[in-house]
Amino acid sequence: MSTSSIFRSEQMTLCQLFLQPDAAYSSIAELGELSIVQFRDLNPNVNSFQRKFVNELRRCEEMERKIRFLESEIKKEEIPIVDTNENPDAPKPRELVDLEAMIDKLDYDLKQINTNSDALRKNFNELTELKFNLAMTQGFFQQVDPNGNGMFNDMTEEITDETQRMTSGGMKLGFVSGVISRERMNSFERMLWRVCRGNVFLKSAEIPQLIEDPTTGEKAHKIVFVVFFQGEQLKTRIQKICEGFRANIYPCPENGNERRELTMGLMTRLEDLNVVINQTEDHRQRILIETSRLIRLWKIKLIKIKSIYFTMNMFNNDIARKCFIAECWIPTSYLEQVQLALRKGSEISGNVQVSTILHQITTNEKPPTYHKLNKFTQGFQNLVDAYGVASYREINPMSFVLITFPFLFAVMFGDAGHGLIVTLFALWMVLKEDYLKDKGKNQEVWRIFFGGRYIILLMGIFSIYTGLIYNDVFSKSMNLFGSSWKVKFDDNILLKDGAVTLEPNPRPYSAAEHYVQMYSGNPYPIGLDPVWQISENKITFTNSAKMKFAIIIGIMQMSFGVFLSLGNHLYFKHYYAIFLEFIPQIIFLLSIFGYLIILIFYKWTTYLAEQATDAPSLLIHLINMMLMSYPTDDSKTPKSIVVFYNHQRIIQTILLIVAVICIPWLLIGKPIYIIVQRKKKTNSTELVHQESEASNDIEMHEQNEPHQEVDMSEVWVEQGIHTIEYFLGCISHTASYLRLWALSLAHAQLSEVLWTMVLRIGLSMGGIGLGGVALFMVFTTWSTLTVFILLLMEGLSAFLHALRLHWVEFQSKFYKGEGYPFVPFSFQSILEEAAAEN
Amino acid sequence: MKEDLVFNLDHGYAEGLCRGFRSGILKSTDYHNLVQCETLEDLRLHLQSTDYGNFLSNESNPLTVNVIDDRLREKIVQEFQHLRNISYEPLSTFLDYITYAYMIDNIVLLITGTLHQRAIGDLLPRCHPLGSFEQLGAITVADTPAQLYTAVLVDTPLAPYFIDCISEHDLDELNVEIIRSTLYKAYLEDFYNFCKSLGGVTAEVMCEILAFEADRRAFMITINSFDTGLTQDDRAKLYPTCGHLHPDGLQELRRTDNYEGVRDVASRYPQYKVLFDGSGTNTGDKTIEDRFFEHEVKLNMNAFLRQFHFGIFYAYLKLKEQENRNIIWIAECISQKHRARIDNYIPIF
Repeated sequence: MSTSSIFRSEQMTLCQLFLQPDAAYSSIAELGELSIVQFRDLNPNVNSFQRKFVNELRRCEEMERKIRFLESEIKKEEIPIVDTNENPDAPKPRELVDLEAMIDKLDYDLKQINTNSDALRKNFNELTELKFNLAMTQGFFQQVDPNGNGMFNDMTEEITDETQRMTSGGMKLGFVSGVISRERMNSFERMLWRVCRGNVFLKSAEIPQLIEDPTTGEKAHKIVFVVFFQGEQLKTRIQKICEGFRANIYPCPENGNERRELTMGLMTRLEDLNVVINQTEDHRQRILIETSRLIRLWKIKLIKIKSIYFTMNMFNNDIARKCFIAECWIPTSYLEQVQLALRKGSEISGNVQVSTILHQITTNEKPPTYHKLNKFTQGFQNLVDAYGVASYREINPMSFVLITFPFLFAVMFGDAGHGLIVTLFALWMVLKEDYLKDKGKNQEVWRIFFGGRYIILLMGIFSIYTGLIYNDVFSKSMNLFGSSWKVKFDDNILLKDGAVTLEPNPRPYSAAEHYVQMYSGNPYPIGLDPVWQISENKITFTNSAKMKFAIIIGIMQMSFGVFLSLGNHLYFKHYYAIFLEFIPQIIFLLSIFGYLIILIFYKWTTYLAEQATDAPSLLIHLINMMLMSYPTDDSKTPKSIVVFYNHQRIIQTILLIVAVICIPWLLIGKPIYIIVQRKKKTNSTELVHQESEASNDIEMHEQNEPHQEVDMSEVWVEQGIHTIEYFLGCISHTASYLRLWALSLAHAQLSEVLWTMVLRIGLSMGGIGLGGVALFMVFTTWSTLTVFILLLMEGLSAFLHALRLHWVEFQSKFYKGEGYPFVPFSFQSILEEAAAEN
Repeated sequence: MKEDLVFNLDHGYAEGLCRGFRSGILKSTDYHNLVQCETLEDLRLHLQSTDYGNFLSNESNPLTVNVIDDRLREKIVQEFQHLRNISYEPLSTFLDYITYAYMIDNIVLLITGTLHQRAIGDLLPRCHPLGSFEQLGAITVADTPAQLYTAVLVDTPLAPYFIDCISEHDLDELNVEIIRSTLYKAYLEDFYNFCKSLGGVTAEVMCEILAFEADRRAFMITINSFDTGLTQDDRAKLYPTCGHLHPDGLQELRRTDNYEGVRDVASRYPQYKVLFDGSGTNTGDKTIEDRFFEHEVKLNMNAFLRQFHFGIFYAYLKLKEQENRNIIWIAECISQKHRARIDNYIPIF
């Protein structure tokens, strides 16, 4: 029994690993690189925070948090993160401490710098606001002065700096000046007016540029304002309002000279600050650039460490034997490699005295399903897995789907022109694979196309083939080898109205003096003769042919599926199922539908053109076979429905009876077999009981499948459903294959319509100037519609129908799909996932 | 029926989103796990496996309950504001109505804060972001309710509710509470009428919830007003009149002056009788407030059983708030090592 084949999933072994605590870490790291071991969680009932290595995991998470912080700082400065495509090994546990210290230090440094620079920046921003405040209030005071509006009537000659000291009605005028953000200004003004009952005078001006807010550090539009008021009470109120609206109040000296001095001082301080800020920025930049070189490596290392500890959390800690016990699924053919990796792991950790022990255990648990795949087969396996992951070691239909899927697609998509475009597109994806791999990762539709590039390639190539068979290239036929038919009527006939019929055989024509051989005698070498393109009954002819093809292909594929189930029965040693399931199934299918195929070939080969009207109508014959009614052979009944070969009646009746016998055979065979088996077992249970007591020395962590007896009524119901499903399925599935014909007809017709309704208009326009331009424009429409409707839409529909034919009609004959996929512990896939998340 | 047909045109996306958010609400198994945590670190680890995801992962150690509280609130506010931003009329008005309750709370918080001489800068961050409005910061300007109205509230949607309070003289602690209750009464009645005017399933669901809210307030006002010097008539003015208790039950509540009396009134209403019967004042018993909360959770959960209505937005917010209270309760119990009462949270699903 070969362990490895493309027809079945890999043979799996459940293994126990006894790992020395010192060696465990590096061994798991090796296995993570190897990516071929699936660990089982031995502590499913333990909460994640109660597990053994939760502290290590927390440390990793803490480091990750810091790295995220560093990364966001790097991104903020728009420094590129260096990606060397290097894949560092998982660091040893003791290196973790160094890494931690390094990251800690960077984190601390950066935070320190940030707080410093924040403080500096805040200071700077405040001073900037103050600067604007001073500069613009200056304007207010000067402006108020000469005009002397309302309140300031009596002080026209006074110079600006005395504004606030002037009196109006004996009261001292005070003012508050500050900066407020623009969007608050409106309601601020309104509230001021309300609270102070109109007894204030507000001047404001917008700062012409965006300035940074001292508290939030964001750029914002700001307004400088000055509020003039009378009395202390109003002052506190105004201050409260300013506070409520987060307006920053700045002192503004009453004297003009003082203001000027303050402005000068401010300027020098701002310049100083600028220098300091620039220096801090440079320092920060240097640190970040250094970090950006290493940060990717750190991230990979951390992810690796984390996944190792996460895996080790699934282990059992055997205190008595001082070791970790792990359970894992390993493909049997990889056992050697795993052994090697484990040995290497313990060597790395420096512990060579006691190596890791790998112990194979037998279990009745279902192993995971693992198929060895490459980039070519992967896409096809995905198609199969989308229906259901194969049960362990059952026949994997992927290798058959590989051929039949593109073929069935092409039967529906048969057009060499369209096929060529599809092929070229797929070929481009395949050849530029390495370049395209990393492109458009976020484009979901693109990823679907790219992931299925090999499927598309095969679909395209097969479409070219079927297109040649149908002789369809953009709905036109090609006369590659010269048609076997020559039209040799003379003008008298041709010029008359009405159609003429080409006859393969000599026949006297009324107008022709002698018959000219029109058929060369040899059929067209490949596919349909191009002469059909101009005939009126092309559709009738192709329909009849394509329908029969569809039935032949369908029944062949279904019987192949039934034979594959034989393969499964033999492999799993279900010999009873061969007699109770496989044989009645195949007999039923062949005795009715297999017979139909034979009739089709018989009809094709025996009836010549002159007997065309006498050829049997197979549909009627099949119905008659079912009804067992055979019309009497007299002159009134058409030749096509009376028996056409000797003993037809008796042969058909026998076939029908055999088919009917298959129904109860399949229905009651298996349940009766089960009843008999159970009777036998009850006699031998006592023996088993004695055995089981003896064998329970090693504690094993597996959910021993309770040997439950399925209720007999359930067996009956299940088998009943199964039987009905199969027999009705044979009929409906056969009919279902007619979609091959229907879609191919639809595709051919659509492309023909597109040609005649669109491109022909352009082609039939006269004149080089007008016709050329018109053709140019019409071609655009035609090609766009061809790509979007015929290639994409029709292609998608043919794809889905082909998929359905495989999932339902083909795989239902043999495929269970009740397995679960093998998910090995793999650094590579964990890293890819992490990359996808970002 | 007609509204149902076109409901999805404007509100389908928002409803779908809200139902999506709803499925992120913690289940009883999650609570079961949370309760077993021994440190706040464990709590964080556990919340990571729920819909909360990494919302705490950028917090440095050690984690405090306050930080958790802030993040929880941030998350819920973010979600609510997203819903508000994508909503069309009349859903947006409905969502605005929900925020008015938070505005009332914020105003009262600031006024009491200033009464106790706290700086406005410390108080503002403690306000609920959903109830924030432009003039909020300047609320300290007002010394009397009249000023509060003319200076601050007149531009806010709360202005019509406030008219009844202008007559109060001072802003002392009792008056603040009265103002809060009066505002709330006016707000609840207005919201109730608004929902009623929306009609359809929204009216059915929301009126039920708001009627309960009104009755709960009436009960709590009565229970809390014993021995406070609030006269019976004053008290009666604060009862929202859109509940099931209106009018007979409210009249009787007005007359009672002890807890037993309240219980008697409640016993005439089957839905409240059950709540009062299940509560007690002894340690270990559930308080009547908890029972009310439980009932509220039930009503809110029921809102999700019907479709094509706005009630789920209200219900979602309330359920999420209850969930936040639960998480904070558990977190407090963990951080204070007071595990005996850790199970006193109110499970939702």
